[in-house]
Amino acid sequence: MKIKTHLLTTAAALAAGTLFLAGCGKPADAPTTTEAPAEATSTPTETAPAETAPATSTPDASPSAAGAVNDEPKQLNLFCWSEYVPQPVIDAFTERTGIKVNVQNYASNEEMLQKLLSGGGQYDLLQPSEYIVEAMIKEDMLRPLDLSLIPNIKNLAPDFRALDFDPGNKFSVPWMAGTVGIVVNVEQVTDPITGFADVFQEKYKGQIVVLDDAREIVSWAMAANGLPMNDITDENIEKIRPTLQSWLPLVKVYDSDSPKTAMINGDVSLGVVWSGEGALLLDQAPEKFKWVLPSEGTHLFVDSLVIPKTAAHPKNAEMFINFILEPEISAMISEDFPYLNPNAAARALLTPEQLANVASFPPDEVIAELQTFKDIGEQSSVVDDMITTIKIE
Amino acid sequence: MGASATSGLGTALARWRMPSGPQLQRIVFGGWTIFVFAFLYIPILILIIFSFNESRLNLQWVGFTTQWYEKLFNNAILVKAFKNSLIVATGATILSTVLGTIGAWMMYRYRFPMRNALNLLIFVPMVMPEILMGVSLLILFVNMHLQLGYTTMIIAHTTFCFPFVLVGVQARLEGIDPFLEEAAMDLGATPIQAFWKVIVPYLMPAIVAGALMSFTLSFDEYIVSLFTTGPDSQTLPLKVYGMARKGLDPQLNALSALFVLATITLVLFSQLTKKRT
Amino acid sequence: MAASAAAAPALNAAFERKPGWGAWLFMAPLLLWLVLFVVLPTLMLIMTSFVERDGLGRLVYNFTWENYVRAFDWKWLKILLISIWYAFLTTVICMVVGYPVAYFIGRSPDRFRTLLITLVMIPFWTSFLIRTYAWITILSRDGLLNSFLLSAAIIPEPLGMMYTPFAVVLGLVYAYLPFMILPIYTSVERLDGAMIEAAYDLGAGPVRAFSKVIIPLTRPGIVAGALLVFVPSIAMFAITTLMGGGSNPTIGEVIQKQFTSARNMPFGAALGTLLLVLFCLALWLTRARGREE
Repeated sequence: MKIKTHLLTTAAALAAGTLFLAGCGKPADAPTTTEAPAEATSTPTETAPAETAPATSTPDASPSAAGAVNDEPKQLNLFCWSEYVPQPVIDAFTERTGIKVNVQNYASNEEMLQKLLSGGGQYDLLQPSEYIVEAMIKEDMLRPLDLSLIPNIKNLAPDFRALDFDPGNKFSVPWMAGTVGIVVNVEQVTDPITGFADVFQEKYKGQIVVLDDAREIVSWAMAANGLPMNDITDENIEKIRPTLQSWLPLVKVYDSDSPKTAMINGDVSLGVVWSGEGALLLDQAPEKFKWVLPSEGTHLFVDSLVIPKTAAHPKNAEMFINFILEPEISAMISEDFPYLNPNAAARALLTPEQLANVASFPPDEVIAELQTFKDIGEQSSVVDDMITTIKIE
Repeated sequence: MGASATSGLGTALARWRMPSGPQLQRIVFGGWTIFVFAFLYIPILILIIFSFNESRLNLQWVGFTTQWYEKLFNNAILVKAFKNSLIVATGATILSTVLGTIGAWMMYRYRFPMRNALNLLIFVPMVMPEILMGVSLLILFVNMHLQLGYTTMIIAHTTFCFPFVLVGVQARLEGIDPFLEEAAMDLGATPIQAFWKVIVPYLMPAIVAGALMSFTLSFDEYIVSLFTTGPDSQTLPLKVYGMARKGLDPQLNALSALFVLATITLVLFSQLTKKRT
Repeated sequence: MAASAAAAPALNAAFERKPGWGAWLFMAPLLLWLVLFVVLPTLMLIMTSFVERDGLGRLVYNFTWENYVRAFDWKWLKILLISIWYAFLTTVICMVVGYPVAYFIGRSPDRFRTLLITLVMIPFWTSFLIRTYAWITILSRDGLLNSFLLSAAIIPEPLGMMYTPFAVVLGLVYAYLPFMILPIYTSVERLDGAMIEAAYDLGAGPVRAFSKVIIPLTRPGIVAGALLVFVPSIAMFAITTLMGGGSNPTIGEVIQKQFTSARNMPFGAALGTLLLVLFCLALWLTRARGREE
């Protein structure tokens, strides 16, 4: 009998403790709190002022935004790339507004889209790349932005207010832009590397890390074969197949989350990675790493914040967008993730070293030449299949 | 004196024989066990040691510090994820224990028509690959228009946990005195009272083992969670996986050290409670 | 013997009752749970494998065989075979490594047994992801093992151990070893000491006594362990991605990709259904074998 009493007390303590902890945490969404005994009851312990305006100390605080009454529950579900939203930014937002932010990550646009489409998860903010924004606008999946609630949008550089996939920022606000390029560990690799042809050589077999993104890899092969990278027809796919078949066996690691890890660990000495990852490596060890934009051509990507139509807290989402457009906040993002910052006011706050980082900020004339990805619909599955096939050949 | 020492040695030498088969086997197996334990524990020890290391890299010892533990406790994401894991694991454990115990007893006690089919069905979640379970449950939840979150997680975790409780209780039931329940009822108990006051105490070891197993499985579950989580119910393994992908982070070392500590404490606790009865 | 054998079922039969409505009531939760969360999802998975999807990845409910036609392509079968091979290696290594440990602990004196088996389980209770992560820090080119081997002048240059099949199998073995040790230990614990002594006394060498008598006696444990290791490790993908780097995709990774970046749920469901069929076959085979004995 003693075991039983002991266990019952422990179980009771566990259950009580869990309820307590759950109460301290996020209040569970109304539809999900049903029969499970350990379910949390909605008791938000943070008391925030009813009217929370993005009270900024900069002259950009607009009186109209301050007056907006936001009676949504103090929650924001953010679905974003891993390695893209700094925790200090999220914490600062929560501190200022009292809104708790739930973060879920993905490592590719396609993954994000699939999770959104399968309809299970409920997200307020997404961070798609330009070609996915294009597709989502076409399919009427996005909620138009109420720009009167986002006065800080004037901080964006003019180029980023007139993007061809969403002119006038009706649905999206650019978060960061960047390129995909080559990073070289010059201590290990002494030959000059200027492009894909130099990277994918037999002698570097097993020393390469690339992004685990079929669309990306295919675009590099297209560029190397002189084909326009958005022209993903079945014909062109067959044309680039031999290139891919010669490239992929040389790759040691596929990683879109954090390709710099393999480079830092010394497991690889060459990488085709996001420009932000390259910039971080350059920052960490400038004598050891070098950044090169492939001579065959690369592309520009623009990741933006968008609000899906199914969002439950759209006003909170708009507050967050306005928040990150503040120059200091945007500079914080650049601090952790040195991509191409579209915020002109923020750029004024960056240090000369940051601005000189050639991975973060390519020369203007280079940017002008770069293309962005366009939506390719069902071909994305074909592309993914091909890469998987070649990986295992 | 010298004579007795040498004669003592002599006797010992005379007595020494080649270890017999079973003894030799015991020595060899024992040595092998030590080696395997080393294999199991050295990585964990390394994690723990380097959780106190000044440097970010798990390579050289630089200096002693507890900063990573501080960072860990202040890491709002991980703390929240830990709470979520606790909530889900506790919910799943309670449901699993109830389902498994009552289910096992009912199947033992009564002749239900589809018993063989039931046994097979129960076996399925135990061995089904987690990805299939995760994916099929996701399809179910989506079609039921259920919001992904705590509820779906607890349901999913219970589904693969309760068979362990059930099977464990079934095994224990094999050794039960068949007339135990009848004896209780002869003394005036209803079937429910007999179950609760007589059978359950007998089954306790199996129930406890099953509950512990459920909790552990649920707390450590990654794949099923990946498919059934909502944005606010991210559990610890999901966050840890993301961090592990990003590379070395001493906070993970600190986390694992705490895990091991918690496990050892629980084990000691259960040993102590056993001794008292 | 025959009399008591006949008596036993008679005893049970007298004991087991036909369920009344009360019993059905108490049985209902379990039945409902099984139907709702085991049978139904599986049926839905199979159903999803027969539908189409649109350009964006949403399901379009038209019946089609195309997913299965696609699945029966050599490339997927190759990946499946590789995954099975990894799982097989893992199982065999776990068996060889784990059996002596399970036997040693099972035959240890009572007071040590619980302690030792608990020591085996403690790593299991620490998150498998974290333990896998530990191996990454050990096996990296700039990691601990290489530093040690270099400083001890055992190797001239660091070894590339990460992101290889070796790393994948190591990660799998490390994760699943306790699942092999525990069932075998249970079997060993139930062995009759007298029978073991008899085996050795019968004059056969210790090796033959062990292999011809003891191992067969612990067969249920070995089979259970093999099942608990082999089956889950075929479709495991988290460990294989972390340790393997993505260049050796397993069937689990492929299926997971269909539900994420490839946006092709029906195809993923088809692959999943085929995998399920394989498992049912394997399960049925082991049960059929068991009945022969």
